[in-house]
Amino acid sequence: MSRVRVLGIGSPSGDDQAGWLAVEALLGLGVDASQLDRPGANLVSLLAGVDHVILIDAMQGGGAPGQVRRFERHDWRGYDQGLSSHGFGVLDALALAEALGGLPPRLDLYGIEIASAHPGAAPGRAVRTAAVRLAAGIAARLGEAV
Amino acid sequence: MPEQKRTVAIQVPVLTRVEGEGALDLRIDDGEISELRLRIFEPPRFFEKFLEGRHYSEIPDMVARICGICPVAYQVTAAQALEALYNVELSPWARAMRRVFYCGEWIQSHSLHIHLLAAPDFFGCSSAIELAKLAPEEVRRGLRLQALGNALMDLFGARSVHPVGVRIGGFHGAPSEARIREMREKLAAALPDAEALIRWTAAIPVPQDDQAFVSVATRHAHDYAIEGGGIAASDGLAIGVEAFDDHFAERHAPHSTALYAAYHGQPYLVGPLARLNLNHDRLPPRIRALLAETGLALPSRNVFHSLVARAVEILLALSEALRLLEGYRVPDSPWVPVTPRAGVAQGCTEAPRGLLWHRYEMDADGCVVNARIVPPTSQNQARIEEDLRLSLMSFGLDHPDDALRLHCEKVIRNYDPCISCATHFLTLNVER
Repeated sequence: MSRVRVLGIGSPSGDDQAGWLAVEALLGLGVDASQLDRPGANLVSLLAGVDHVILIDAMQGGGAPGQVRRFERHDWRGYDQGLSSHGFGVLDALALAEALGGLPPRLDLYGIEIASAHPGAAPGRAVRTAAVRLAAGIAARLGEAV
Repeated sequence: MPEQKRTVAIQVPVLTRVEGEGALDLRIDDGEISELRLRIFEPPRFFEKFLEGRHYSEIPDMVARICGICPVAYQVTAAQALEALYNVELSPWARAMRRVFYCGEWIQSHSLHIHLLAAPDFFGCSSAIELAKLAPEEVRRGLRLQALGNALMDLFGARSVHPVGVRIGGFHGAPSEARIREMREKLAAALPDAEALIRWTAAIPVPQDDQAFVSVATRHAHDYAIEGGGIAASDGLAIGVEAFDDHFAERHAPHSTALYAAYHGQPYLVGPLARLNLNHDRLPPRIRALLAETGLALPSRNVFHSLVARAVEILLALSEALRLLEGYRVPDSPWVPVTPRAGVAQGCTEAPRGLLWHRYEMDADGCVVNARIVPPTSQNQARIEEDLRLSLMSFGLDHPDDALRLHCEKVIRNYDPCISCATHFLTLNVER
C-alpha cells in the first residue's frame, strides 16, 4: 500500500472545525490522521515524503452547509493571487508546493461547506454530520486500497 | 520639459504581501508629489480596551491574539512589564528560555518575510509561487528555516500560532531534555542554511537609496537586543523603558486607523535595520565576520538593507538558541510565584518588526485599569511615508504608473508592516 497522510485543517471557530471533526472521526475508525491549525506555508513540508495526501478543509462556496466537494488539480492550478502571510491558505500552499515540484503523486482535496465560523462557537449539526460521513467514505476507500 | 507637467494619480486599493489591510494614495502634480498617504483602513481592534478589568494571569494569552506572526513579542513584553511591577525575579532558566522562545519567532517571521513577502519584488515576481519557479532551492531553504522557527515556538508555547506557554513568573511547562536535544540538532544543522541566506540576500540588487533617519531600538549591555535592555536611538539617546513617553508621542491621522508615532516630533525607524545599525557590535564575532564579508557598511542609510538585516538576525537567533540550550536541564519549577500589587507596569522588547512597548496600570487585585500598546508598525508609519517620498524622488517620477506602483509597494513591503497589529493597511491611489 502506498504511504498515505490524512490532514484535516481548521481553527477553533464554529464550522471551521470541519477538517478537525473529520480527523476525529477517522481516528475513531482506526485511520491515522492529523489535525492542523492554519498551517500556512508549513503545509508544503507536510505534502512531502508520502505517495498520497488527503486534505480536508472547510469551504465557503455558496452551497448548503454540510455539502462536500472534492477538488481536482485543475480546480486550483493557476491560482496565483497576491499573498499575505496572514491569509496564506491551503490553495496558496498547494500552488507553492507545485511550483517547487513538491506535490505528492496523489492528492485528494475535500471541502466541507460551512455556514459560520465564529471564534469559540461549536460547529453546526450539518457540518458535524458531513465530517463523519466524509470520514467513513475515506476510511472505506483506504480500506479497499489495502 | 513639457512631458514632466503631467498630473498622475496612482491608487493601490489593497496592498498585497503585507500583514493586514491598507492602501496607498499618490498624486503627482507638475512633476511634484502633492499627496502621499499610507491609508490604514483595517478596522481598529480595541485590544487595549478589551484588556481593561482582566486579571494579570490572562494577559499573556490575550495579547498573543493581537498577531498570528509575532505573538511571542506581545506575550514576552507584557510578562516583562508585569514581572517588573511585581518585583518578580525570573529563574535563570526562565530568563534564558524566554530569549530562546523569542528567537523562534524571529526565525519564523523573518524567513516568512524574506521569502514569501519581500524577495519576489527583487526578482520581478508577483508572488513567492513565481519566485519558487525561479529560485526553488532558495525558497525551499526559506521554508525549512520558517518551519524550524515555528517548531521552536511550538516547543515552549505548545503551538506556533497564538502560543500559550508564557505565564507571569516564567512558563507553564518545560520541554523534556530529549526534545531539546532533538531541537539542538536541528538548529545546528540549519546554521549553513542561515549563512547561505545572508550571502544570498546581500547579493540581491536593491535600490541604492541614501536617506537620513534616526534608528531606534533597544540596546543591552552585552547581548544583541531581543528581549532585554533600554531604549537607544542613533542620535545618542539612551533611556530606560519607563522614559518612553518623554521622547515618543503617538497621534491620530484622519486617513489611518493606526496611530502615528514620532520621536521628538520626527519620523524614526524601528525594525531589523534599526537594530543592526545600533547593535551590530553585539553580534557574535563569527556573524560579524560574515557580515563584513558581504561588504555591508553599518550603520546603513538604505532601508532596503533590511532584507540582509533579517537574514543576519536569523543566524543570530539560531546561534543564540543553540548557545542557550546547551546543557539544558528541566528545572524544578518553570515558574516562580507572583504577588500582584497596584502600580504602573512598563515593558519593551524587539518584535521581529521592531520595538514594541507596553504600559499597564494595574490595581491591587492584579487587574488591568488601563493598557497602552505601541506596536512597531505604528512607529514606522510616518517613516514609511517619508521613505516613499524620498525613494520615489530618487527613483524618478516620470516612470509609468505600473513602475511607480511597484516601487511604492517594494518600499512599503520592505518594512514588513503588520497592519493587523497596528490597527488597532494597502489599497495605491495615484493621481497625477
